[in-house]
Amino acid sequence: MWTNLMNMLQTRQAEIWAALQEHIFLSLLSVVIATVLALSLAIALFGHRRLGNAVLQLAGIIQTIPSLAVLGVLIPLVGIGTVPATIALVLYALMPIYQNAYAGLIGIDPSLDEAADAFGLTYWFKLIHIQLPLAMPAILSGIRIAMVMVIGTATLAALIGAGGLGTLILLGIQTNNNAQLLIGAVLAALLALVFSWGLNGLAKLPLKQGLLVLLVLTGGILGYAGWQTVQARSEKIVIAGKLGSEPEILINMYKELIEQDQPQLKVQLKPNFGGTTFLYKALQRGDIDLYPEFTGTILQTISHKKVPVNHDPKQAYQKAKQIVARQDGFIYLKPMRYQNGYALAMKDEVAKHQHLQTVSDLVQQAHHESAAFDPDFYQSADGYPGLKKAYGLNLMAVNMMEPSLKYDALRQGQVDVIDAYTTDPQLKVDHLVALKDDRHFFPPYQGAPLVRPELLAKYPRVEASLNRLANRITTAEMIDMNYQVTVQHRKPAQVAHAYLVQHHLVKAGD
Amino acid sequence: MSDTEIIQFHQVSKFYQQRPVVQDLNLTVKMGELFVLVGPSGSGKTTTLKMINRLVEPSQGNIRVAGKDNQLQALTQLRQSIGYVLQEIALFPNMTIGENVMLPLQAAHRDNATSRQQAERLLNQVGLSASEYFDRKPADLSGGEQQRVGIIRGLIARPQIVLMDEPFSALDPLSRRQLQDLVLTLHQEYKMTIVFVTHDMTEAVRLGQRIGIMQNGHLLQVGSPSDLLMQPANEFVRDFMAQAQVPAVKAMVMAGFGQAVGADQVGHQPQLPISASLATLASKLQQQTQVVVEGNRVLTQADVMAFLASQEEDRHVD
Repeated sequence: MWTNLMNMLQTRQAEIWAALQEHIFLSLLSVVIATVLALSLAIALFGHRRLGNAVLQLAGIIQTIPSLAVLGVLIPLVGIGTVPATIALVLYALMPIYQNAYAGLIGIDPSLDEAADAFGLTYWFKLIHIQLPLAMPAILSGIRIAMVMVIGTATLAALIGAGGLGTLILLGIQTNNNAQLLIGAVLAALLALVFSWGLNGLAKLPLKQGLLVLLVLTGGILGYAGWQTVQARSEKIVIAGKLGSEPEILINMYKELIEQDQPQLKVQLKPNFGGTTFLYKALQRGDIDLYPEFTGTILQTISHKKVPVNHDPKQAYQKAKQIVARQDGFIYLKPMRYQNGYALAMKDEVAKHQHLQTVSDLVQQAHHESAAFDPDFYQSADGYPGLKKAYGLNLMAVNMMEPSLKYDALRQGQVDVIDAYTTDPQLKVDHLVALKDDRHFFPPYQGAPLVRPELLAKYPRVEASLNRLANRITTAEMIDMNYQVTVQHRKPAQVAHAYLVQHHLVKAGD
Repeated sequence: MSDTEIIQFHQVSKFYQQRPVVQDLNLTVKMGELFVLVGPSGSGKTTTLKMINRLVEPSQGNIRVAGKDNQLQALTQLRQSIGYVLQEIALFPNMTIGENVMLPLQAAHRDNATSRQQAERLLNQVGLSASEYFDRKPADLSGGEQQRVGIIRGLIARPQIVLMDEPFSALDPLSRRQLQDLVLTLHQEYKMTIVFVTHDMTEAVRLGQRIGIMQNGHLLQVGSPSDLLMQPANEFVRDFMAQAQVPAVKAMVMAGFGQAVGADQVGHQPQLPISASLATLASKLQQQTQVVVEGNRVLTQADVMAFLASQEEDRHVD
């Protein structure tokens, strides 16, 4: 674990640094916007107690809406990425800032207020020289609370493609990489502490210097935001990938292939962009131009209608192609060779020793084999219950276990068989073998680029570039590449490039 | 209208939710006088005061300030032309002593250097050395010191009128006495009109050139301290005045003892302040046969004896 952590810190430095930057930017932007809004509101309303209190109630209600729900509501309205994430975070930060600023302003000693009036101070003079300075400790404590909250909540931004430290945490969970998860979580916590201290320091500065620092900070953030937007606009093609190493390797290949054939095109990658539904919605909205999707996922998850499981990969691909074309007019390009579906896995040496190669072989021995399956596989019809029926598989004992535990159980010989994904790098790490599904029970999961038609209409040659991967990449090759990224911590772009060069899909060199 | 009248209340009433706080008030304050409004709590004296600079708006009637209806004057201008000293002192805790004093000048957009000079001069004048106090925060000062700052903050813009709302009622007796002396000194020097509100009859008699007594929103009587002592308009005024601990010399003068003399007869010989104690007067009278008291009045030993005798009679009557 410790060595893994140090290793990650060294090899993934750039990635971690980028996530940290995104996180800081997103948090600061949200807090700055929320401060401007909440403070203006508090200043406008503290002279009108009834309205001010009503807004206080309203802000409290907004606060109680779960952040995920807010994100869900925002996606159809403003799409994905930084915009909805910022809106959601601003909504959360409003309440503590408004509440504290309002309380600070109405809590000013009435005799001070009377004195200010009696000296004939104008509204603005009184606000700037008396009221704001007197309420400043309360205002700053509100901003500090909002800051800490936003830095924590911003980890959820990764779910909607806004990046940040949440990406590390999500990936860590997804790929069972505790080191990565820990780095994300610890950095988020440290960030909250550092900013809290920073605000404390800022509070001790004289008002003018404090305002100057705030102004510079705000200018910097807005400048960075503007620069980012300009950057994003100049990009031509946006390719996203789901969470994990495999999609990231694939989209790096896409990028390299497209840019080699048409060097004038610019491809922007959005790796670890989110889950299936989220990516599909992003494609529908045109936030992204394409992403790699599995045939099985289209048939089981994306299709509006329930589709009977088709065990022939070719027919499954054709069916999936029809469905996305009919539902959204999307184009599903040719699939790659490997499959990333369910499989039963055993230790290589044990399988060899017992002469087991297929699931049918296992059925013969089943009465003295025990298994550990993760909860999904254990319960769903395309998992163990279906398998049992299709093969007449009767295992001696079956345990339900979390994914990370089942590998441990297998390694320590507590069980003989587990469920796995066919391109899981863990197969290579633990020297496991996937038993062949000789009766084709598991639905086929073949990957292929899912593309918006507008992209191909504009750049027709992209199709040919992408199709060069058709029927390429075997399951073993995919396992190996996943292994290089998740275990050896090589960069997905390097791994992708090495594969393309080795298979003469691009020219060697850069 | 004579130009010696600087504030005039005409049939002024103030209601809070139909409850009268001040009713049908008619009052004239003369230019340059130290006028004290006195009365028990809830008598409407503070409300009356705050209607002058419109911290409270009257429900009926009108108030003329420096010859113009104060409703027709621009609010900031009106308030910038009137100094204000609060019971709560209300120095701004986020500002230094110097910044507090300079605030009314800054509000009127005076330039910084002159403002600072003036603030330093006033601080020095009231015994708070500017070099030591200018950059300190209000919280570092005692209550008495804070109210010194409060007073000069009220004066710094050289207003024609200064309103003081029970400025010393939260202070200890010693500080109160020192600050009363300070107000008298500053009033003599700057000759501005002061309207001073208090519930303390002793303070009223000590400071006021004229006193107005209020009860339940009504102005019962206006007059000089001796008028109120000698000819109380009713029982309430008499009882209220009886609470006053009038300094012996002032009491003698008010009660009409001694001989009034013309200024030319007195010449330049030093006069005994009217707030002096009986002991001071007695020791002077051991050295000389007669003493001239502030206000050109001559007192002799016989006057003192007669005064003491009248006091003894009073006690027997009670």
